[in-house]
Amino acid sequence: MSEAAPALRFSTMLQGGRIRLKFRGPAMRILVALLLSVICAAVLIALSGHNPFLAFVAIAQGAVGSEHQIGASLNRCTPYLLAGVGVAICFRAGVINIGAEGQIAIGGAGAASVALALSDAPPLVAIVAALLGGALAGAAWAGVATAIHLGRRVHEVLATLLLNFVALLLVQQLLAGPLGQFGAGFLQSPLMPRAAWLPRLPGFDAHPGFIIAVVAAAVLSFVLWRTPFGFALRVAGSSRLAAAYAGFSLPRLTWGAMLTAGALAGLAGGVEVLGVHRRLIEGFSLGFGFKAVTVALLGAIEPLAVVPAALFVGLLESGSLAMQRQIGVPSALVTVIEGLTMLFVLAATAGRK
Amino acid sequence: MADPRQGDAKGDALLEMRGIVRRFGDLCANDNIDLDVRRGEILGLLGENGSGKSTLMKVLFGMLAPDSGAIALRGQPLVNHTPAEAMAAGIAMIHQHFMLIEAMTVAENVMLGWPAAGRILRKGEISARVREASQRFGLDLDPDAQVAKLPLGRRQRVEILKAILRNADLLILDEPTSNLAPAEVGDLLTILRRLRDENKGIVFISHKLPEVLDVCDNVVVLRAGRVAGRAPVAGASRGQLAEMMIGRDVSKPRDAGSTKPLGAARLAVRDFSAPGLGSLSFEIRSGEILGVAGVDGNGQLELVEALTGLLPSRSGVVTLDGHDITRSTVAARMKLGLAYMPADRGHTALVKGMSVFENLMLRDCRRSPYGRGPLLTRAPGAAKARALMADYDIRARDPDFKVARLSGGNQQKIVVARELDRRPGVLIAHQAAWGLDPGATRFVLDRMVALRDEGAAVIYISSELEEVLTISDRIAVMAGGGFAGIVPRAEADMRQIGLWMAGRAA
Repeated sequence: MSEAAPALRFSTMLQGGRIRLKFRGPAMRILVALLLSVICAAVLIALSGHNPFLAFVAIAQGAVGSEHQIGASLNRCTPYLLAGVGVAICFRAGVINIGAEGQIAIGGAGAASVALALSDAPPLVAIVAALLGGALAGAAWAGVATAIHLGRRVHEVLATLLLNFVALLLVQQLLAGPLGQFGAGFLQSPLMPRAAWLPRLPGFDAHPGFIIAVVAAAVLSFVLWRTPFGFALRVAGSSRLAAAYAGFSLPRLTWGAMLTAGALAGLAGGVEVLGVHRRLIEGFSLGFGFKAVTVALLGAIEPLAVVPAALFVGLLESGSLAMQRQIGVPSALVTVIEGLTMLFVLAATAGRK
Repeated sequence: MADPRQGDAKGDALLEMRGIVRRFGDLCANDNIDLDVRRGEILGLLGENGSGKSTLMKVLFGMLAPDSGAIALRGQPLVNHTPAEAMAAGIAMIHQHFMLIEAMTVAENVMLGWPAAGRILRKGEISARVREASQRFGLDLDPDAQVAKLPLGRRQRVEILKAILRNADLLILDEPTSNLAPAEVGDLLTILRRLRDENKGIVFISHKLPEVLDVCDNVVVLRAGRVAGRAPVAGASRGQLAEMMIGRDVSKPRDAGSTKPLGAARLAVRDFSAPGLGSLSFEIRSGEILGVAGVDGNGQLELVEALTGLLPSRSGVVTLDGHDITRSTVAARMKLGLAYMPADRGHTALVKGMSVFENLMLRDCRRSPYGRGPLLTRAPGAAKARALMADYDIRARDPDFKVARLSGGNQQKIVVARELDRRPGVLIAHQAAWGLDPGATRFVLDRMVALRDEGAAVIYISSELEEVLTISDRIAVMAGGGFAGIVPRAEADMRQIGLWMAGRAA
């Protein structure tokens, strides 16, 4: 399992005491891969009888055409980035965690529960407590998978993947019961108390989640490259044997990576609930966890590089609706572009070290 | 069945390899090797690690092309053949690690990749053939048994069965007994004798002299890429074979022994056992090098991994400078002054995808100057790495150079630098000079002698007897998971050591 982990290896190197991305080899290949996927998308759009150039303009306008749209795009990127950074940390450590999907959902439920329980708290307290609740809930859910993996030797892919379904059903169950809004006719919670709403950034229609996510990416990049713990994670991801020889405890590293990833995914769920919907809705995060894996791999499992990867995916999706509205190209085409990008990036970087 | 193959009778030439040469860069892995196998013969192929056995077999099987030389099977030349062509010609290779699909049954595994099984599955017919062959050769295999549920010995028989059904005339078995329980070994040897009676030719590659003497008709010993000797087994003794494997120029130990009186016991091992390891008791004192000789795979790896905390021990007590470390973690042992140079450099001792710097701090990242508290201290660490590179002559452009791009000698120097710089009280060095050129070997051995002279205790484990004799103060020989004997170097008798290596206890 460990060997397969870093399918992509970025040329992040420690140089002269600074973390530096080397922009020649691998980064260049990723850019070329992006370019190729854009060309393929253009051909597909042309085949469907539309002008690809106009379609791209529509995507761009939809994504960053106005302050409102920039805000909506950033909100869209946020859960991908938060959860993607966590997934990247796990993959670095050779732990294939694909449980972000469930951890986000549980995190959202955790944040909603705390916010609803603290209906009288002042704004800052309510927000911090609810986000913390989301992070803890996500970490706990990741902890369940870790305990199954380490305790019963179930492969972590199975443990994390299967718990996703359990998590989604659990959230449904909560919405049908204690967390649900009676008589809504739809599986959703009551509106969060106002104090727990994430504020809007002045000038943009965005909540501060994206800033939190970028800070998280920076912090984890620092941890990965500048602390013994991060070093141990990287060694474990390269060779379990070497990590054991170096005296690192593999179970402890697995716990560390999984709990970190769970907390970040839970935070993503909390931010989505408090910042976008302001209530817990069934399926509010459908597909986010798998997007997080995409984004982590596109970012070559390097926390800082996950930022542009998440931006790419989020902006593309956010612009796709405008493209559909304006020139009638189905927004599903963006999913095709995402898939193509993944394929090209993997093809461009696989097998190269 | 009347296959008009020429020379089907017992004793007819089956395989002839002539003048096989194969180089890897500067290293001549096979230097003009001749090898003959006759029908109805079991030929033992002996040799230390790196003596060229695997290369020769890979050349035979078409996995490597020889630089020069000729191969003929039943008189037909085999030129530029692929493994598939080798199989079609009647050569079967049974690897140490079996190539079976565990989720499938015996019959299904037999069908896999076998053209004669046809395009349409004929399960009943194949099962019948499996049953028939199984009976004839005493394999005792049920065609419908799932491979995953079979013990290792049975799985090996599935491989043998595949070879038989594919009409292989020449079977190559690479270390076939290394994964088997003693009872299974006996069964395997019986099966091999039956195959011999059916006029098959067999190449039996092994380190284990008793088995070779038991089942083989003739042996060929390789050493450093050349044929060191060939002999019929009938007249040979273990001692002779051991001498052939080891070489002749090792009779007189060099004089580099410790002149100082020995100090206190640093590492004491009492009634110690672990999986793959019998009960062991010994101690090493300050200022002493204990050399552990022996053919690879006789428990050396189990011993070092149990002593360093990588494998759990079963019973007994290990103390390091008086501290009981029997149940300590790897990190705790390191803290008490136990250094370890593993034999497996590629995956254990080094992380090849990482830099020289990162590999130098691999086991010390939480200690000054590499780290303080929860942070890595980059600048002092890099300075330290530069100093070590200069001190230990690690030739890399800078500390950020990737280890994978260094030569084997430079890679090993990183391990040596890292483990010695900690000023360990006890060093366990496993194959520390393996594959190094003479200069680098000398360097590594000198550093170990220097460490000993500073008062450390060193366990030096190597399958190269010459190295062990060069630097050890006492010599232990491992065989069958225990010490067959232990003797001060001054009293070392080559014949005795050879016998111990061959598995006869003192």
